[in-house]
Amino acid sequence: MGGSVSKIMGKIFGTKEMRILMLGLDAAGKTTILYKLKLTNQEVTTIPTVGFNVESVTYKNVKFNVWDVGGQDKIRPLWRHYYSGTQGLIFVVDSSDTARMEEARSELHKIINDREMKDALLLVFANKQDVPGHLSPDDVINALQLHKIKDKVWYVAPSVATEGTGIFEGLAWLSNNVKVQQPPPK
Amino acid sequence: MSVTLPIRTSDGATSSPPKSNGPPHLSPSPSIGQKPSPRSSETSQRRSGDQIAAASKPKQRRCKSQYPRDSLERHVEFILVASFHIDRGPIMEHQYPGAISSDESMLAELMLPDQTHVRSQDWTMFFLHKDSGADGEEEEQAAKTKKKKKKRKGVETETSSGDEVASEDLDNQSEELTEEEEEEEEEQSSDEEDGGEGPPLMYVLNLVNTKQDNTVKRGAVVKAMAICTRHSFLHIYKPILLLALEDYFKSPYPETLESLYNAVNAMDLSLLPKLNLLERQILQASNSKDMFIEKFEQMISQRMAEDNELTETDEGNPSSPKKPSASPRYVLPRDTHEFESKIVYHDIPIPVKVPTVIWPEIVGDFSLIKLIQVFSAPHVSTPQPFPLHPHLTTSGAYTHPIIVLVNAMLTQKRVVFLGHNRPSGEVAEAVLAACALASGGILRGFTRHAFPYTDLTKIDDLLRVPGFIAGVTNPTFANHPEWWDLLCDLPTGRMKISSHIEPAPVTDGLLYFQQQSPVSVSGTNTDPTGDNLFMEDVLRSIANRHGENAIRAKWRAYVTKFTRVAAAFEETVYGASNIYIIGPNEELFPESPSGLQADPGDPTTLRGHGYVWPDESAKQRELMASVSRIEGWRTTRSYYSFIQDIAAMFYPARPILKPDLHHHHDRLRTLKLSPSDAGSVYLAFSHAIKDYAGICQLLTVTPESQAGLFYLAMGLLHPEQTVREATADLLERIALHPAGRHFWAQLNRFGKTAYFRIKRERDAASLNSASGSFGPPQSLVGVAMSGVQSHGS
Repeated sequence: MGGSVSKIMGKIFGTKEMRILMLGLDAAGKTTILYKLKLTNQEVTTIPTVGFNVESVTYKNVKFNVWDVGGQDKIRPLWRHYYSGTQGLIFVVDSSDTARMEEARSELHKIINDREMKDALLLVFANKQDVPGHLSPDDVINALQLHKIKDKVWYVAPSVATEGTGIFEGLAWLSNNVKVQQPPPK
Repeated sequence: MSVTLPIRTSDGATSSPPKSNGPPHLSPSPSIGQKPSPRSSETSQRRSGDQIAAASKPKQRRCKSQYPRDSLERHVEFILVASFHIDRGPIMEHQYPGAISSDESMLAELMLPDQTHVRSQDWTMFFLHKDSGADGEEEEQAAKTKKKKKKRKGVETETSSGDEVASEDLDNQSEELTEEEEEEEEEQSSDEEDGGEGPPLMYVLNLVNTKQDNTVKRGAVVKAMAICTRHSFLHIYKPILLLALEDYFKSPYPETLESLYNAVNAMDLSLLPKLNLLERQILQASNSKDMFIEKFEQMISQRMAEDNELTETDEGNPSSPKKPSASPRYVLPRDTHEFESKIVYHDIPIPVKVPTVIWPEIVGDFSLIKLIQVFSAPHVSTPQPFPLHPHLTTSGAYTHPIIVLVNAMLTQKRVVFLGHNRPSGEVAEAVLAACALASGGILRGFTRHAFPYTDLTKIDDLLRVPGFIAGVTNPTFANHPEWWDLLCDLPTGRMKISSHIEPAPVTDGLLYFQQQSPVSVSGTNTDPTGDNLFMEDVLRSIANRHGENAIRAKWRAYVTKFTRVAAAFEETVYGASNIYIIGPNEELFPESPSGLQADPGDPTTLRGHGYVWPDESAKQRELMASVSRIEGWRTTRSYYSFIQDIAAMFYPARPILKPDLHHHHDRLRTLKLSPSDAGSVYLAFSHAIKDYAGICQLLTVTPESQAGLFYLAMGLLHPEQTVREATADLLERIALHPAGRHFWAQLNRFGKTAYFRIKRERDAASLNSASGSFGPPQSLVGVAMSGVQSHGS
């Protein structure tokens, strides 16, 4: 309804709209990234997400509708309900949480193997690069076994969400790689 | 006032050769036998004297409490506390007095709604289809069988004494009826509890608080406390839940739950009288603040008598110092629509108001006005066309969204209310309001399939429920049109019909009307269903601040009309209706003229039933416009439970089976009747409506909002004296009736003047005629009626 107007506007002014789903284990920094995108240069303090957050952020002529879904073990089975129509997946990992890297790998592969996610771009934020003992982006690539992924465009961006470093670089990668502007199926 | 009538009922008239009344026509499901009365007309005559006397004063039988003191049912059955665990998500912390369900995680998820972390406080409501765990289950079962037994007993009394009642309309004010009524009352209440679809629902009111706390991991504590009750007025517990959850943050122990549990269950509602179905209808439709105050008075005097007995027997000291203080303890309500009580929690008295009238499907404190306004404003300012669906868009692409919603509910579509970034309490309210809208307090089967608040965790269960009504805050629902048929978006006030909706099937009714030559399809009438007009009227009422009660009454009337139109539709298409029980002496054929007196000896055998249209083409037009949604409704839960309710509840609640009061009052209201037609209606009414319950039934079809007694009072101006007298008698009985007196008081001066003139004339006449005779003055109407009857037979 209201969306049709913005779609027309999008055609005229060349703005793209992109539905992004942001997932990751609990306390990885998803909500902080979301609100750093939304409220640039502001201090963000977050508490655990009950359910989800959703915000739209416009960056470089692309309107990102970013869904940030809570990461607690028990509520992860709900992630699949957010898949349909998603054009980009942001997977956030706590680079310092080496103990749970295997858990993160398993969850990530579950998501991208889902049929509904086969066309989605994959952006991994190797977050918390400021915490001592963190893995480097290359270590994260290995730990998550991203080289095993076939038929999918992916990219790992190092980030420090609390300071806002690396986040917009990741977003820029998403906007450059989204090929055709597909309106989310209604 | 005393009337001696030589009463000849329809069955009394069997002595005369032409027995025009065949066996009564009944609609398929119920069977209420009708045998000739075993009583002679002499007995009727003998009884009629005290019958009238009894009719004029309210019954002095004991008034029962809706919530008796000695009841085993508790106001609140469980208290729950859940919290959001940083590592594990929602968990249940405590349940008091025991575990309500084995599925703790499901409950905990419901208690911690999505996005709780962005607000400091949120309310939700949800319903549990209680199979109350291991120990409760047997109890439940036992209670059910007991109820069934009771019900069967009720039906038996129905048929045995029902014969007499039905055949001796005028003669039924005896003890049997009183007893029967009591039976009925019990039956009604038990019926409403289980609603024909298993045990009553458990309503849960839930409060969740998020407190920022830097001393804990990740900076916040989220806790929720819930009250589980069988009472539909769960909103009264809001203030106490606020206090109790605050306490729980300070002392997170089961003791906090226990003190709340004890406080709410100590609430005393035992002075709230029980009303029967007709009385409840009257009270709800009325704005009088002291309607049925007599019942409240009686409850108090009964209580005071009990108290006196107690003090006398217990203390052996009749002049105990307690006595004087006892009387001010009981106060009458300022408004009989609600009962005031209090909950004492930690020595703080919290006032609560409990609604007197409880209808099925009316749960919580929603606002129909709010719901209607949310979806009307965008429709009025910038209307958007709906994709057409025969069940939903009954007035075309620009059907009012509220009508689309009601149609969706009536035809059992899956409805989702989405309130992104809104508190979950708000979507819950919208769901409850929608249920009330479609039910009108008449139809059932909505709340039982409603999920006032739900989230993604329950989606698989939700999708297993056909025709659910759900409230959600997660906008991902909008991206899944395969999950719903109608999506109602609260923030934008827009509704959306799903692209995945199942097309309406072609049915017999549809073919029937397609075969009919399209003569009556006139382009002139753009609103054949009358829905546009109705919505305009509702919106005008809202704009004029008529209040929530007035709007609810309008919707009740709308749903009543829908069921009556549906009944007429079934008779037209299928020859008989499942949802109308034809009264005695009544013909099924819709062609038979309304207002024809079946039995010349009995004025109450007036033919005609159901909804009244000004003419046949108006009827055809409206039926044709409603075909789809009626046919859509005829396969739903609410339709089937309505068939049951008619047989078990609505029909038995009616003491007057002939004539069809609603039908004939509608004729007075909507048609220009000839004096003789109108006269026979007035005579039939005056003849049939004698006792307390009969007058109650009449008052349900003459609500204040539809001019009250105005159309009846028109009978005072009838050219024939017999009609004027009969009307005056009826009005006199109404004026002496505890509920009727309010209607009488609202009658305009015009009507009252006419009434007093007739009374004066009659007094003068009776003075003349009774100069020789002894005893009570004979009523002229009695003479007139006997004249009519002897003339007839």
